[in-house]
Amino acid sequence: MTLKGEDVVGSAMVVGGGIAGVQAALDLADGGYFVYLVESSPAIGGVMAQLDKTFPTNDCSMCILSPKLVDVGRHPNIQLLTESKVEGVEGRAGRFQVRVRKKPRYIDLSKCTACGDCAQVCPVSLESEFEQGLSMRKAVYKPYAQAIPGAYTIDKRDRSPCTNACPNQVNAHGYVALIARGQYREAMEVILRNLPLPGVIGRICPHPCETACRRGRVDQPLSICALKRFVADRVDLHDIPLPEIKRRDEKVAVIGSGPAGLSAAYFLALEGFGVTIFEALPVAGGMLRVGIPDYRLPPEVLDREILFITRLGVEIKLNKALGRDMTLDDLTAQGYKAVYLSIGAHASLRLNIPGEDADGVIPGVEFLREVNLGERKELRGRVIIVGGGDVAVDAARCARRLGGDEVSLLYRRTRNEMSARENEVQEAKAEGIEIQFLTAPQQILTRNNRVIGLQCVRMELGDPDSSGRRRPIPKPGSEFVIEADWVIPAIGQTPASAFLMEEGVRLSRWGTIETDAITFETSRPGVFAGGDAQSGPWVAIGAIAAGREAAVSIARYLSREDLKAGRQKPPRSQEDFVPIPKDVEKRPRAAMATVSPHQRGSGFAEVEIGLTEEQALAEASKCLNCMACSECLQCVAACKAGAVDHGMEEEFLTLEVGAIIAAPGAATFDPSLKDTFGYGVYPNVVTSIEFERILSASGPFQGHLVRPSDHQEPRRIAWLQCVGSRDVNHCRNGYCSAVCCMCAIKEAVIAKEHSREPLDASIFFIDMRTTGKDFEKYYDCAREEHGIHFVRSRIHSVERIDENDNLLLRYVTEDGLAHEEEFDMVVLSVGLEVSPEVSELAARLGIQVGDERYATTSPFAPVSTSRPGIFVCGTFQGPKDIPQSVMEASAAAAETSAILASARGSRAHRVEEVATRDISQEEPRVGVFICHCGINIGSVVDVPAVKEYAKTLPHVVYAEENLFTCSQDTQVRMQEVIRDQRLNRIVVASCTPRTHEALFQQTILGAGLNKYLFELANIRDQDSWVHQAFPEEATAKAKDLVRMAVARVVLQSPIEEIKLPVVRSALVVGGGVSGMEAALALADQGYPVTLIERKDVLGGHARKLLTAWTGDKIRPYLDALVERVQQHPGVSVLKRATLEAVRGFVGNFCSTVLVDGKTLEVHHGVAILAVGAHSFKPSEYGYGRSPRIFQNLELDEAIQNRNTLVFEASSVVFIQCVGSREPERPYCSRVCCSHSIENALRLKEINPSVDVFILYRDIRTFGLRENLYKEARSKGVLFIRFDVECKPEVEEAQDGLIVSVYDPILQRKVLLRADILTLATAIETRELESLARMFKVPLNAEGFFLEAHMKLRPVDFATEGVFVAGLAHWPKPIEECIAQAKAAASRASTVLSREFIAAGGVTASINKELCVGCQACLECCPFGAINEVQQEANCEVNQALCKGCGTCAATCPSEAITLWGFSNRQLYRQIDEALSA
Amino acid sequence: MVTKRFEPKILAFLCNWCSYAGADLAGVSRLQYPFNIRVIRVMCSGSVSPHHILHAFQKGADGVLIGGCHIGDCHYLKGNYMTMKRVAFLKELLNFTGYEPERLRLEWISAAEGRKFARTVRDFTEQIRALGPAISFDAVPLALNFG
Amino acid sequence: MNTRIKQILEEGAVDKVLAYKAVQGFLLPWMFTRENAAELEPWEPNGARYPVVKLLLAEVRKNPHANLGILVRGCEERAVRELVKWRQINPQRLVIVGQACDENLAEHCECWKPYPDQLDYGTACEPIRESRRVAELDAMKREVRLDWWLKQLNRCIHCHGCRDVCPVCFCTECSLEHVDLIPAGKLPPDNSFHLVRAVHMAGRCIDCGLCEEVCPARIPLRALYKKVNDLVEGIFAYKTGGPGDKSPFTLLGEELVLPLNDR
Repeated sequence: MTLKGEDVVGSAMVVGGGIAGVQAALDLADGGYFVYLVESSPAIGGVMAQLDKTFPTNDCSMCILSPKLVDVGRHPNIQLLTESKVEGVEGRAGRFQVRVRKKPRYIDLSKCTACGDCAQVCPVSLESEFEQGLSMRKAVYKPYAQAIPGAYTIDKRDRSPCTNACPNQVNAHGYVALIARGQYREAMEVILRNLPLPGVIGRICPHPCETACRRGRVDQPLSICALKRFVADRVDLHDIPLPEIKRRDEKVAVIGSGPAGLSAAYFLALEGFGVTIFEALPVAGGMLRVGIPDYRLPPEVLDREILFITRLGVEIKLNKALGRDMTLDDLTAQGYKAVYLSIGAHASLRLNIPGEDADGVIPGVEFLREVNLGERKELRGRVIIVGGGDVAVDAARCARRLGGDEVSLLYRRTRNEMSARENEVQEAKAEGIEIQFLTAPQQILTRNNRVIGLQCVRMELGDPDSSGRRRPIPKPGSEFVIEADWVIPAIGQTPASAFLMEEGVRLSRWGTIETDAITFETSRPGVFAGGDAQSGPWVAIGAIAAGREAAVSIARYLSREDLKAGRQKPPRSQEDFVPIPKDVEKRPRAAMATVSPHQRGSGFAEVEIGLTEEQALAEASKCLNCMACSECLQCVAACKAGAVDHGMEEEFLTLEVGAIIAAPGAATFDPSLKDTFGYGVYPNVVTSIEFERILSASGPFQGHLVRPSDHQEPRRIAWLQCVGSRDVNHCRNGYCSAVCCMCAIKEAVIAKEHSREPLDASIFFIDMRTTGKDFEKYYDCAREEHGIHFVRSRIHSVERIDENDNLLLRYVTEDGLAHEEEFDMVVLSVGLEVSPEVSELAARLGIQVGDERYATTSPFAPVSTSRPGIFVCGTFQGPKDIPQSVMEASAAAAETSAILASARGSRAHRVEEVATRDISQEEPRVGVFICHCGINIGSVVDVPAVKEYAKTLPHVVYAEENLFTCSQDTQVRMQEVIRDQRLNRIVVASCTPRTHEALFQQTILGAGLNKYLFELANIRDQDSWVHQAFPEEATAKAKDLVRMAVARVVLQSPIEEIKLPVVRSALVVGGGVSGMEAALALADQGYPVTLIERKDVLGGHARKLLTAWTGDKIRPYLDALVERVQQHPGVSVLKRATLEAVRGFVGNFCSTVLVDGKTLEVHHGVAILAVGAHSFKPSEYGYGRSPRIFQNLELDEAIQNRNTLVFEASSVVFIQCVGSREPERPYCSRVCCSHSIENALRLKEINPSVDVFILYRDIRTFGLRENLYKEARSKGVLFIRFDVECKPEVEEAQDGLIVSVYDPILQRKVLLRADILTLATAIETRELESLARMFKVPLNAEGFFLEAHMKLRPVDFATEGVFVAGLAHWPKPIEECIAQAKAAASRASTVLSREFIAAGGVTASINKELCVGCQACLECCPFGAINEVQQEANCEVNQALCKGCGTCAATCPSEAITLWGFSNRQLYRQIDEALSA
Repeated sequence: MVTKRFEPKILAFLCNWCSYAGADLAGVSRLQYPFNIRVIRVMCSGSVSPHHILHAFQKGADGVLIGGCHIGDCHYLKGNYMTMKRVAFLKELLNFTGYEPERLRLEWISAAEGRKFARTVRDFTEQIRALGPAISFDAVPLALNFG
Repeated sequence: MNTRIKQILEEGAVDKVLAYKAVQGFLLPWMFTRENAAELEPWEPNGARYPVVKLLLAEVRKNPHANLGILVRGCEERAVRELVKWRQINPQRLVIVGQACDENLAEHCECWKPYPDQLDYGTACEPIRESRRVAELDAMKREVRLDWWLKQLNRCIHCHGCRDVCPVCFCTECSLEHVDLIPAGKLPPDNSFHLVRAVHMAGRCIDCGLCEEVCPARIPLRALYKKVNDLVEGIFAYKTGGPGDKSPFTLLGEELVLPLNDR
């Protein structure tokens, strides 16, 4: 399908940044399309990044992956969208609109230098996802060292419940996290951001934060409030530096010095306003001072914090009351531009019962005020307090301290409804205060207007009232009298606000000041109000919050800004939190020590003593870090580059793309869900992914093989296969995950290599499925050379042995015997499955998935989904290994390219050509730029000294130091300096060339210098970071490195890249399915293709096949394919054609083809070799001697021809592995198990009563094919296993055959009568040598083509421009052939889409004067880039093929070869300088 | 009198793709190692010729470290095979002519083996420190030779 | 005795043959053609040896299309083979006539193969399996060996004679004259001079011993190069001068044949 014209957008989206997504993105971007790569995590790399080694080559996974990631990271035509999700797709193939939601990273990618200073200071440690929870990371982190983007990210979830619950949003999480690190001053600074009264609030707050704390779900909430008090007690406020404040002229009056007033004043002062607080009382502090007894809040604590506020310039005028001493107009007249009313609620509510005005009745608030002001020092006799709130309890406890003999508290409801704080009530009781519940006063009894008692009535609870509490109802007849000398009603407070009405400030019917809910502005402009006077009596922290908000309003008011804009915050979601780890140890909550009740006596000394440091540290460390990032903002201060921005917000993008490739990958089965084999319970049972991390050199144990429980080296490890695969009991995954067999073998081999002591490795399996290229050999080698035990068995159970944390495995072997074996460690080979997130993605993309949640595809269009224009690759298409994923990725890119070809290049950025200056006549003029990298270099290396030193070096004419040499402004200046100083060589001393060379090269190119006239001295990664304790030596080393770099760059001359034209057409060798698909894929992209086929018919082996494993008929597909190929104007088919000779190289091949006896020359830019393979003709099992014996392909034919022997057979036998997995062909032919089972099912369909026996060695129905196997068994096909040492025997008998085989389950030989016998014969190649020689490509030991890299370049050859597809690469089923063919086309189109091939750069070149033609270089070049020039008897390097390794230069005996940029002279000089110090 | 501790001069040739990356990883991971090492980045360990190594000794290196990709991991497929052969031979040659072969060391260090790099540098530096200064490659002046 | 040489000249298989002619009683290398074939004299082997292969190489370079013949001993045949492997001589244009060395010479050379495979003249005598000189040096303590070598090498007068006489030194640009590597005019040269040369000869030296014979300072170079050959053989199982592949130092090779001690 090719779309035309304006309907098509030249960009594509790839969803998923694993290896498949990365490959697809690179192919498309290299092919001229713009690519959005959408990845849900903060970095690309996927599962492959987590793997230690890869099978079967044992390559280091990261080593081979990382360069690809870097390519993606700096590709001009790939835009990486990390932490992003596709929300929805509209439109159609060619023009989709994709909505993407991008989470904020909180780190500016363009500024982050990945120095890690932020992580150093981050107080929050979380389990590292990348390390599978085996080690910790910070909340600001880089997922792994080589991550791309190479920048940090902040893990920030929904706001921590503690912070969220606080009326004042004090960042409890933040200060708790800092306390846990002992950073008390920093913790204090976090508190002070919202709260200028930490010591006060730390004592008196009812701490809703603790109620919300999720730790309560584990054991008890954290003692957050006590921690705040701990910090406040510990940190001297005078140590907190005064912030820089920009003074403003406007003055603000604050009425009342309670918490609201103090808060407003504080925050206004921080904004630079002149603030005066007018306080009616002779003391400052409002209710804090006069409403709370000293034993709870010592006055010195309050004084200290008020002093802290006045230090900012806030003035407090005592004994000045609004209404009494002045009016609002007076204030305006005095120059106050705004007023904040925070007059509190100091009037008590009345009981409204008789006798209330008698002597001896003291309203609660009044009583507390008198006590606090020292006006009342004694209260003798019996005291009754009425009320159930804090004021009542405070009054009771004060009364007790003032000498009250019998102090009792009456409350009309029960304990449950009491609003006083639990611990206060407890303390009161401990101090001997009696509480009578369900008791209400009816009348105060007096004598001579003096209280003598109180008449009360008992209550009972009725229905709930408007407050939700059950309403108390008097019990008739329950009246009684309590004798009393004093009655203190404390049932509530109200503001004394009536006077404000005259001031034009509107009040509510409860007497509170009416304000706007958000801005706190009153009805009088410029007058704002808050605190109890506005809200009615509430907690102090609420008043502080109100003050803080009012300060914002007032500042806006005075700046004439909109008071409301952006302040109405929607409620915050409280769902996405860091999960609570399973293994949290339960620990009780820290409690403050208290002065014992009998020591308290009549004094007002503080009762609660506060937490000890030890307690505080332990308590803070219990925090679960709900939000991940605690927003303590330490990172902001630490980041010298200014890259941290906590204000970033989520973005919603709508992107226009022509096609979408879904490569979201699969997840691994989580064995903890079903308590499988004790995972999650027994520490030494780990998953295979965890084991990969354990093995990895960069993993949690630095590659030291240890087990989790005791970090000891295990001596015996068991691998259990098929955990979460081929299993419908523990999970829904009936299929085979296709990768775990090889993965386990690899892990066992590597574990044995890692282990210092001999390691006993056993793999417990059902069938060993090593079907991929070179897998069987790997299996053989593991068994025979590494001595790994393979135990064919069913695992019964895994139990922990308590003494040593070992594991006892119970299993049953094939012979039915039960065994027990002890292991130090068990690895669960967890299978692959589609995660719920990916299923959601599928739904959002609108593509179909199958029963097993994998994307639905057809075997004939293996990467096309149900929705046109959306393709799929990798493990979301079905379980598979890396090479297969990479092939599909390229195939998906080919499909994309086919529909977008008309728009190729329309969205891609073109690289601007920059003219460079000719410096050939100039003396070297070197400029040196030395980077501080914030403090990363500068704190260790004496950068100014290095700069001065650099100036003394020969040819250096300019040197400067930068805070960040890589920052945008420095880049600009560098270009200016290059022009001004006429510099012609640049040295930057900073970080590593691996990440930054390209950046600086672009910069100097921009200034007109050839980009190779540059050298980087790595004084960070390899100096300041690794010699932190040795500043002198590190400085000396930095000087050496700079000197070496200068010496080298002086000898550097410009390197020109040359452009070689590309012949934009292809040659495809082989006219089977692979060849035809490849040809079509290229022709559909608009590239002419010559397809040559040896025979006179197209179709190859597929002509003989009936169906794909899915049952889809092959013939109709094949006929249509042949038709399309023959009709396609872009494909010229040459039948009966053979290749005679090939010359040339990538972009420019010329092949000689012999067609019907005539030769013709074909010019082509690329070649795809798809010559197929053959089936092995066996000589065993009587093949060829009886018409009853077939090969599988012959059986297909016989079924099609309705062969009577087949149709009338009542007993059928299949023998597997005929010629495969034998010494002559030590490989699995991959397709035969499925093929035999398909045919078995076909025979069952023809005749349901036919007996079918399949004699096999391992059933290898990998991936979703496992369903075939299940179906066959359910339909009664019998499977009998045999060993290669004990193969079945076949005899001819009358009217049939007798097949005898030893059945390991029955443990005896069985004889099977067979009407027909089918041999599943091997696939082998024939005579590929000459083709291999012509294209200079290698064959492997089994005679198949050997690709450039088995994992990541599965269709490329090391020889550029030549690609492979189909069976000549390795045996594979038709859908894999098709995918590989399309992949080859995709890779080929990355060459054909270019007008030119850029050659040169860091490549070798041969000086012909010096070359003696010995050809040593030719023989050692891994890329065949060196040719002999016959006429001149010497050699030359093909710049297009040379990769610049320099091996030839080191081999040439004549020193005739130079690797540009690494010449011998440069290296000698570098060596000289390195050693000259 | 305070004798200054012998600080060996160690030169390292590291291949761009694995060992140099491993050294960077050691840095990223803040793994501390002795400051005696001076690194020369090469594209492939296979481009380090014996001349470079001999030149380093000639110029006074006390130890020469070569870091390459593990066998099979070479970015250039097989360049490190060449390194392995050259170093194996050169060590023996040094030994036969009386020089300490331990002063030349080849290590395969992958891009993921920051720890191995740091450990190698620590080990090697200590080993060379224990060996003392290298015997000079400089010729003995002719006059002395006659004496 | 000279029948084969005469024969190949007369048959036209070769245009010239490099053999020996007695001049004033001394046997000297001589280029014979059909015209002067008559001057061929009976061959009398003796100890005198010449860099005949080097002369052959000069002839090849001068006259690349000529068909040449050469009379060689065992070591010289090895040299020819190396030059073939290193693409300096086209084997299609060369006919070898072989001559065995006598026991004395074999003993003198400690020669491991004192006869060519193409043996036309003389009888192959027993090869000397092990070099006594190398064994003696190997037996020394390393420090003693160093002193011994320094004493020898410091006599070097930087004359390049060893290189100039070497049959397998065929480069046009010599690393020994690379001033960044080996400073010019320094006497004696730095020790890296001999080490660099030894590195170059590894996998190439065919143990003819001419370098030692020609050395005016009598530096026992042959001991050094015998060891070089032993090492190449010991590490890579490669015998220089044999038929088959080129030096392991130029072939990428397979993992199986690599030295494993550094892994």
